[in-house]
Amino acid sequence: MCGGCRGLQRNTPQAVRDSSDLTAVTAAGPLRPGGHTLAAWDYRRPGTLVPLGPSPGEPLFAGSAPGPSPRPLGPLVPWKMERMVVRMQDPDQGVRTRSQRLLITVIPHAVTGSDVVEWLVRKLCISEEEALHLGSLLAQHGYIYPLREPRSLALRPDETPYRFQTPYFWTSTLWPAAELDYAIYLTKKNIQRQGALVTHEKEHYDQLHKKINHTWDLVVMQAREQLRAAKQRRKGDRLVIACQEQTYWLVNRPPPGVPNVLEQGPERGSNNANQVQMSQSLDFYKREIEWSRKALGRTRVKSSICLEAFLTFSHQRGPHDPILAGCLPSNPWVTDDDAYWAMNAPTVAMPTKLRVERWGFSFRELLDDPMGRAHFMDFLQKEFSAENLSFWEACEELRFGGQAQIPTLVDTVYQQFLAPGAAHWVNIDSRTMERTLEGLHQPHRYVLDDAQLHIYMLMKKDSYPRFMKSDMYQGLLAEAVIPLETKRRVFPFMRKPRLSSPSPALPPTSGEPSAAGSAAGGDEES
Amino acid sequence: MAREECKAMLDALNKTTACYHHLVLTVGGSADSQNLREELQKTRQKARELAVTTGARLTVALRNRGLAAEDRAEFERLWVAFSGCLDILEADMQRALALGAAFPLHTPLRPLVRTGVTGDSSRVAARALSARSLSHQAERDFDVSDLKELEREVLQVGEMINDMEMKVNVPRWTVQAQQTAGAELLSSNSMGASSVGAVSVEEPSRSCNPSKALAATLFSAVLLAAVALALSVVKL
Repeated sequence: MCGGCRGLQRNTPQAVRDSSDLTAVTAAGPLRPGGHTLAAWDYRRPGTLVPLGPSPGEPLFAGSAPGPSPRPLGPLVPWKMERMVVRMQDPDQGVRTRSQRLLITVIPHAVTGSDVVEWLVRKLCISEEEALHLGSLLAQHGYIYPLREPRSLALRPDETPYRFQTPYFWTSTLWPAAELDYAIYLTKKNIQRQGALVTHEKEHYDQLHKKINHTWDLVVMQAREQLRAAKQRRKGDRLVIACQEQTYWLVNRPPPGVPNVLEQGPERGSNNANQVQMSQSLDFYKREIEWSRKALGRTRVKSSICLEAFLTFSHQRGPHDPILAGCLPSNPWVTDDDAYWAMNAPTVAMPTKLRVERWGFSFRELLDDPMGRAHFMDFLQKEFSAENLSFWEACEELRFGGQAQIPTLVDTVYQQFLAPGAAHWVNIDSRTMERTLEGLHQPHRYVLDDAQLHIYMLMKKDSYPRFMKSDMYQGLLAEAVIPLETKRRVFPFMRKPRLSSPSPALPPTSGEPSAAGSAAGGDEES
Repeated sequence: MAREECKAMLDALNKTTACYHHLVLTVGGSADSQNLREELQKTRQKARELAVTTGARLTVALRNRGLAAEDRAEFERLWVAFSGCLDILEADMQRALALGAAFPLHTPLRPLVRTGVTGDSSRVAARALSARSLSHQAERDFDVSDLKELEREVLQVGEMINDMEMKVNVPRWTVQAQQTAGAELLSSNSMGASSVGAVSVEEPSRSCNPSKALAATLFSAVLLAAVALALSVVKL
């Protein structure tokens, strides 16, 4: 017998696996073997059965999370509280209990708040403030409940009496508090109070009546029978059990305004990050050291310097930002007038002044703008160094083009720009040229990178400043148009007749007639 | 009549389930003992027997195709209540198993939680078994052997529920309960009064006080008016 019971204690899962039909018991999933049709109506999803063998120091109900949707456990794992409560029960080392006297009945096992705090201070060697905090956590999670004011679950470090909650109602078990149970509890309360329920309970009662209407017969029957069963007990026991149940439902269905302690906030739910292993392997530490060494050697810019750069950037770019400095002629999102977009299209006959100014900020700006690039190309053609820009464009195409075109493209580039005696031979220094020619034997996407960079720097240092100072650029700047701001309407509520865009379902055959027709239609409407 | 029989059996099952629930509440607490475990075992055996017979009867009734519409509705209502009752029973049995394993009685590795419940639960068990009284003495290592049996029984109940759901298909959304909200208040006045007296020791119910205060003020106002009238009559 002792061997059997030891087997039960130490590793209960093994003891259970003796008979084959009991293997389902140890599964962490829901208990119904195989698929079942009750999934949607299963108001009482039971947790798993088997806790770990109770050896001292081990939690009682660890591993009893139901399979499908385990509740996320925050840093304050409930079974730490459970362990503490169990330690408090020790007859010698535990908390001192007194008896509670109520008129004629005497109920034992009452604990004062100050006793609890003092025990925590003594056993855990912590300060009183911390002990008070721990004690109030125990009270909030329903492990101890106050006897005088049962509705407020808070620990007071004075003579207020408390009592321990029965293990059936502990929150560490993670047994779900089902709607059916809550309905039965409210019905019992209804019977006892002759219909005088608290407001939020009344609301819940009505909601539940609608929600689980089909089992309401059962609810009423069970409520009546449970009350009759409770009457078979002594008065003191009856009171205690009623208080226990009330505390349980205060924790699981808190009244409005009281925070729900069982809820895990979004930041607490991700416990994975907090589960740091205390002792790591040697490799881990080697990697950490290597990473830290590399981090030390990284180039850092002083914030004073980069902030200055940031300031100059903002200063320079401020007037160009449509949100900060307003956009002319008008914001299309506000006035439904898309002139702004039309004027700032990638290729347009007359570029705006702001755009032309932007070409002067940096070489990159100039090259990124298609119009800028076109004008720059014109300028270079005048200076007879257009092949630089063509070469640069070809290299860009190689870098960002398709993989299949790379060999042919590399060949073309070589023939056109790099071969000695080529039509548009670019001037690259000898070392880079040697490296590039070697790399051309195994062409890949980035084989012309060095050469491209060289040409880019050449253009930037040489051609670009000349372009900025050239007559062509100054002419563009002078000619550039500053769009006029649309006149503000005097009566803002008079709507401009909207041009309805052609329906996307119809093929865009007639542009002008439809626009005119819809404008007329819009006029008629407004 | 089949319907009355089923209703009576369902009532009995309901009573036994409620008593079982009440007994399971105290497992692990200060009232836990081998006697309690034995009472639990007896109660759940009775509950299982009742469940089997009720289930069989209801299954037969519902699989009968030639059943009138309102009969069918009645049986479906009974069926929903029955399956809910079985769910409660199954959940309580699982919790009893978990608690029983966590708080073994024969070798007290862990002290029982001092919950304040100290009395005897034999009357509850007697009510469950519909017996006059229950006097028994469980042997010392009862809970160990009981746990294995309990596990088996839990699985059996689960299988029974599955079986029944497979055989009979009752869509829950079509069933309407007979009881309205607050129906429990109508026929339970006697029970309510004594319970109110019991609970009011810990939580004084405040509902009487405002009405009492109102009555008192009204009475005093009437009294004052009467006194004033009398004085005026005297003066005259």
